[in-house]
Amino acid sequence: MFALSRTYVWLVAFAGVLFLPFALRGCLGGTEAQSGIARGESTLTLRIITPHNQDIRRAFEPAFSDWHREHYGQPVAITYLSSGGTNDIVRYLDDLYGTYRDASGALLPEGLVNSGIELVWGGGDYTFERSFKPLLKPLNIPEELIAEAFPKRDLAGVPLLDPTAGPLGPRWVGIVLSSFGIIHAPEFYDVLKLPAPQTWTDLARPELRGLVALADPTRSGSAAMIYMMVLQRAMAAAEHSWLDENPESARLTSDQLEQLASYQQALGRGWKEGMRVLLLMAANARYFTDSGSRPCSDVGDAESAAGVAIDFYARVFQEQIGARRITYHAPRGATAITPDPIGVLYGTLGEREVLANRFVTFLLTPEAQRLWNLDSGQSPYVPRSLRRMPVRRDVYADRHGWADDENPFELAEGFNLRQRWMRQLGRLIPVWAAAWIDTKPGLDAAYRAVLEVPERERRERLLFELSDLPIEFREVIEKRPAAAAGSAATLDPRLSAARERMALGERFRRHYSAILAQARGAG
Amino acid sequence: MTSGVSWAGLSARLLGPNRAHAGAAALLFAVLFLVLIWPLLNVVAVGFMTTDGRFTTEYLRLVLGDPLLLGGLLKSTLIALGTTCVALFLALPLAVLASRYDFPGRALLSSLLLVPMVLPPFVGAIGTRLLLGRFGPLTQIFGDETGRGVDWLGSLRIFGVVAVEAFALYPIILLNLQAALANVDPMLERAAANLGASRWQVFWRVTFPLVRPGLFAGCTLVSIWSFTELGTPLMFHVYDVTPVQVFIQITELDNPLAYALVVVMLTCSTALYAVGKLTLGRSKRTVASKAASQSVARRLSGARAALACVPFLLVLSLALLPNISVVLTSLSATGAWYRSLIPREFTTSHYFAALNDELVMPSLADGAQQLGAVGNSIVYAGAATAIGVVIALGVALVVVRSEVPFRGALDLMSMLPLAVPGLVMAFGYLSLSVQFKRALGDATPAWLDVQRFPVVLLVLAYAARRLPYVVRSAAAGLEQVPRDYERAAANLGANAARVLWRIVLPLIGASVLAGALMAFVFAMLEVSDSLILAQSAEFFPITRAIWELSQRLGDGLYVASALGVWAMVLLTLTLVLAGALLGRRLGAMFRV
Repeated sequence: MFALSRTYVWLVAFAGVLFLPFALRGCLGGTEAQSGIARGESTLTLRIITPHNQDIRRAFEPAFSDWHREHYGQPVAITYLSSGGTNDIVRYLDDLYGTYRDASGALLPEGLVNSGIELVWGGGDYTFERSFKPLLKPLNIPEELIAEAFPKRDLAGVPLLDPTAGPLGPRWVGIVLSSFGIIHAPEFYDVLKLPAPQTWTDLARPELRGLVALADPTRSGSAAMIYMMVLQRAMAAAEHSWLDENPESARLTSDQLEQLASYQQALGRGWKEGMRVLLLMAANARYFTDSGSRPCSDVGDAESAAGVAIDFYARVFQEQIGARRITYHAPRGATAITPDPIGVLYGTLGEREVLANRFVTFLLTPEAQRLWNLDSGQSPYVPRSLRRMPVRRDVYADRHGWADDENPFELAEGFNLRQRWMRQLGRLIPVWAAAWIDTKPGLDAAYRAVLEVPERERRERLLFELSDLPIEFREVIEKRPAAAAGSAATLDPRLSAARERMALGERFRRHYSAILAQARGAG
Repeated sequence: MTSGVSWAGLSARLLGPNRAHAGAAALLFAVLFLVLIWPLLNVVAVGFMTTDGRFTTEYLRLVLGDPLLLGGLLKSTLIALGTTCVALFLALPLAVLASRYDFPGRALLSSLLLVPMVLPPFVGAIGTRLLLGRFGPLTQIFGDETGRGVDWLGSLRIFGVVAVEAFALYPIILLNLQAALANVDPMLERAAANLGASRWQVFWRVTFPLVRPGLFAGCTLVSIWSFTELGTPLMFHVYDVTPVQVFIQITELDNPLAYALVVVMLTCSTALYAVGKLTLGRSKRTVASKAASQSVARRLSGARAALACVPFLLVLSLALLPNISVVLTSLSATGAWYRSLIPREFTTSHYFAALNDELVMPSLADGAQQLGAVGNSIVYAGAATAIGVVIALGVALVVVRSEVPFRGALDLMSMLPLAVPGLVMAFGYLSLSVQFKRALGDATPAWLDVQRFPVVLLVLAYAARRLPYVVRSAAAGLEQVPRDYERAAANLGANAARVLWRIVLPLIGASVLAGALMAFVFAMLEVSDSLILAQSAEFFPITRAIWELSQRLGDGLYVASALGVWAMVLLTLTLVLAGALLGRRLGAMFRV
């Protein structure tokens, strides 16, 4: 009897905890629904797949609905879909559109395609160019709006809207910008007796071994841009000194220059130097993450001393816990600033297409653009500031009520990512992945052993050798050799890519082992 | 003995002696195929297909030929073995103390020992990371001579992984051991002692062989769990282990190696499972037969009772740290837990923020249309539990009570979710939804389309994922109930349904209920399915809400922790409730 009654006590406690939130919610009263759509009002619906966070989703739904009611007389209810992060969305859309392909793999005529989603919003330009673009249709938004919003179609060499737009219009346009900057923990830097980092190469100092939080270039396009920037800067420096030595070549075009062997060799030397700095940064890395917030929380807690972070995450952290614990710095002229786009999905037709394009149009209006950076409470749509940078250059003229005072268009001045050199990115990412991520334990062991070598001269020589990866510029820019005849790899690009990355991994792993053996050999 | 094979004899042998049993088994095979095998095949097929859709084993060969991936397998196996040994080392003395002695506070301490199992996702990991922070509480206690902090996470590495996993998983071995010890007939031990055996001899020659099945069951589960565990190695920056390699490759797109690697991992987990199963199978009868007399716990008092509490308190003081850390985070002012033992400033505002969040709680303005994550989770987990109970009861009846051939395979299939990474199953269900769309086009009903109404697929995924616990619990209940009652009822003219309803269910009700509670709680904390399948906010369950909140800038992590604390309290109460209903048989649930 006693045992039974005790069981009942637990049962009551269980039920109590289960329903406690509901009871409390009832007592406290709930917040009003934000959509602002009156009961019974005829409503249009829009379905958007997006990795954007809750705050962004919450801000733009009522803002668009009100704008639409004002201009077209009807409110709009938005259903946001997301199957996890950006890559999960890519996987899902690929799978979904896989159902609308014919035997040759081409998409069926548009009338036969209905994915049930009108727009894909956010995920970065890299993902849009690489994965979403084939699933998008040309946008149908006023040309004057495009001209107004994008007086220049690129920012420091990075396209702000679909760079290969046909006569029908771009398939994607950037809506907001994201940039990567350096974060560091000043308190921790004081302990380490190091000066505050100013440029990316400051993250390659050996004192920072295991103390740097880096972003994963295989999973984040903006992160890949940073590494590309370090590389291109080194190449540009090498080009500069070659041109100083060969003043007569200054008149030649880029195509002509590239024919010259000595020019190529100079570029190769610059490339090597850039790769060396990158490898030392990678050796310092605590991890390569695809999480936007982890480097910020780690540096804020002095778990890491420095790292790379997306601007808006870093600013929020800095504001919250103070600049002594985390300071954000965007290196002028060396910040990778990339657009975060939107596009209309293939198969969106008729009124759905009209509404989808109206949403894009709305997002490019100055009033919607300002929402991205208005301070908390400056607009009923943004109870908490989004702290992001709008893509329209002209809205920066009046920053009244904004949370941040930075202008990305000024920040990006002074350096252009060269599109000509960007082409190697696709080949470089597997090299970076193999050298930094796949073989990280080997790299860590060798790096530690080298730094423990007591004789300075030998240590520095070994450090140079470690960072001198067994790969040359030529290998990356040249057309890849055909895969071994008769193997399945000739038919399957994924297989050859996997093979290549594995072979690279094995090559780098042996390199690290050799350096480790040398460092320990006379230690 | 074997005379000529007649068709009737052959079909009788294939179908088993009872056609109804065979029919039920066939139906269950079909159901398990649909909810487990099909989604799984959907995913791993990518690892065996070229871009143009031809079958290939090239990826598998690449995986097996890559020293990095093979090294990962080796390291994962070492972690699994290490974790199992440490967990056993922690659990064994506690189990013996708890089942052989009685002392004040024993019941409370035994319940608290189970709490490490109920750590909510995401915030649990963040809590552990905070504890082991360079300037975190651990450093504050041990001191920091250099002023540069202590890099616990970076230097402990594989040892840290083993320690954290062992302290999280020991309850599984503990439960199994307690159940096994309770079933040991004390007469056997006394007989051995009477014949002159020393205490050590009695334990080693009599007790140990008798509890071996329970021991192996717990160890197998812990080793599979730690073999496939992803979060802990990630936390300690240990990237060269198989689950992390799978995770990194699977989240990079278009990397088919990941799926070939999943198959290799699955094979290894199945091997671990099979080893446990075979070892257990041999001495099944020992456990199945209840002890003729119950062992009487020796009552301790005074200094001896206090001494008995010491190991409990030692283990608890370490094992509960992550849970305590989540509670402290939920109460800490934003950013106030830094370079201090506990937060420097406390607040309850995060709890109010959670209550006021439209993701978490039902939206009042929309009437009853939206339940919020809390309501959604309760509905999903409840429905998943109901479905799980029905399937599990069927599987347990066929496995324990019928002579149907291949019933072992049915048992094995129902245990499969233990060995498959959650992410893989979630992708499987997502791809299932897309396949329906492919086959049915615009005529696809909403409930098969994750975009429009993911609830059905989500509930099925939850049910499938937590099936093993309910199956084990129902099977354990059935094994302890003598068949004679059912036979007597049948002799008196009751049909099978009536026997099930009036005899079997009342007898195993407590076991099933406890298994169901466990399934309910773990379904409420399910991660991968929730993240991948619940695509729009109106369908978010609690784990997805915790994830969304922890992504939010500002107070997100703290609000997520507040939600996590609520989940933790609910889970703890569920375990206590299960314990109260089932007593020491709780351990039977984790038996493989």
